[in-house]
Amino acid sequence: MSTVVEHDQVLAIAQEVFAAMVDGDEGLLQPWPGELPVIEDAVVAWVDLHGPWPGRAELRTSGATANDLTRALLSLPDGEVVTSLDLVDAFGEVANVVGGNVKSLLPLQGSLGLPQVAPSAPAVPGARLVQELPLSWRGRPLVVAVWAFAQPALPEGTRLS
Amino acid sequence: MIRVLVTDDSRVMRQIVIRTLRQAGYDWDVREAADGAEALEAIRADEPDVVLSDWNMPNLNGIDLLRSLRAEGFATPFGFVTSEGSPEMRAQAEAAGALFLIAKPFTPEAFREVIDPVLA
Repeated sequence: MSTVVEHDQVLAIAQEVFAAMVDGDEGLLQPWPGELPVIEDAVVAWVDLHGPWPGRAELRTSGATANDLTRALLSLPDGEVVTSLDLVDAFGEVANVVGGNVKSLLPLQGSLGLPQVAPSAPAVPGARLVQELPLSWRGRPLVVAVWAFAQPALPEGTRLS
Repeated sequence: MIRVLVTDDSRVMRQIVIRTLRQAGYDWDVREAADGAEALEAIRADEPDVVLSDWNMPNLNGIDLLRSLRAEGFATPFGFVTSEGSPEMRAQAEAAGALFLIAKPFTPEAFREVIDPVLA
C-alpha cells in the first residue's frame, strides 16, 4: 500500500474532508509544526479496508478535541454538551469519509468496514504503518494514519510496486 | 414539494446531507432512514419522489437497497451519497439504476451539479 498511498494524497484528503464536512472553510487543518505533543485522553476513530489491499485509516486526537469536532460537525454552539453517541457518530463518520477516499486511491477495490471509535484501535499482527501525519486542527493535535495489513494472494499478474 | 428519503446509518451524516440540500436551494420535504432495511420499509409504505442513500450501511447496504427496490418494481429516482467514489462503484451504481453518485466530502455545488439535471 505504501507505493500507492502517498503522504501528500492523505494530507489532501484530510484537508478536503475537514474543509467540506467540519469547518465549511479551508485552511483549518494543517501539518503540525515541529514535534507533536503527546495526545492525552486519546480517542481513536478508524475504518478497516478489506480485500486485496487490506488496511486501516485512523484518526487520533484528544477527547476534548473530538468533542469540539463533533460540535463543529453538528453546528452546535461552543460549550454545548456532546453525547458519547454523537461523538462516536461524528468522529467515526470523519474516519469513514477519510477511509473511503483512501480506498479510492487503491488500484484494486475491496470493501470498507463500518467506522469504529474507542480509546485505542485494536492492534493487528503484522500491520505496517504506511503514513502517519501529525496535524493541527484549529491549533490542536490530531493524527491521521494509514496502516497496511498482511495482503492476501493477489490476482495473477498483479504487481505490488 | 419534492419528497426525499435520506438514508444513512450516521445521524450526523443525515443531518449534514439535509443541511447541504437546503444550502443547495432544495426546500424539500425530508424523511430519514437509518439503514437500507428501514429505507425499504419506508418506501414500501409511502414512496418518496427521490432517495438519497449512503452505500456502506449495516443490515441492508445501499446497493442492495437499490436492487431490492428495482426487483420489487419501484422506479423511485435514486442517488448515492457515499464516502467511496471509485470508478468501479460508480459503474455498479449506474448498472443497478442509480441516477448519480455524490462522493463525500461534498459541497452544495456538488449537489446542484448532479441533482439539477435530474430535476430538469
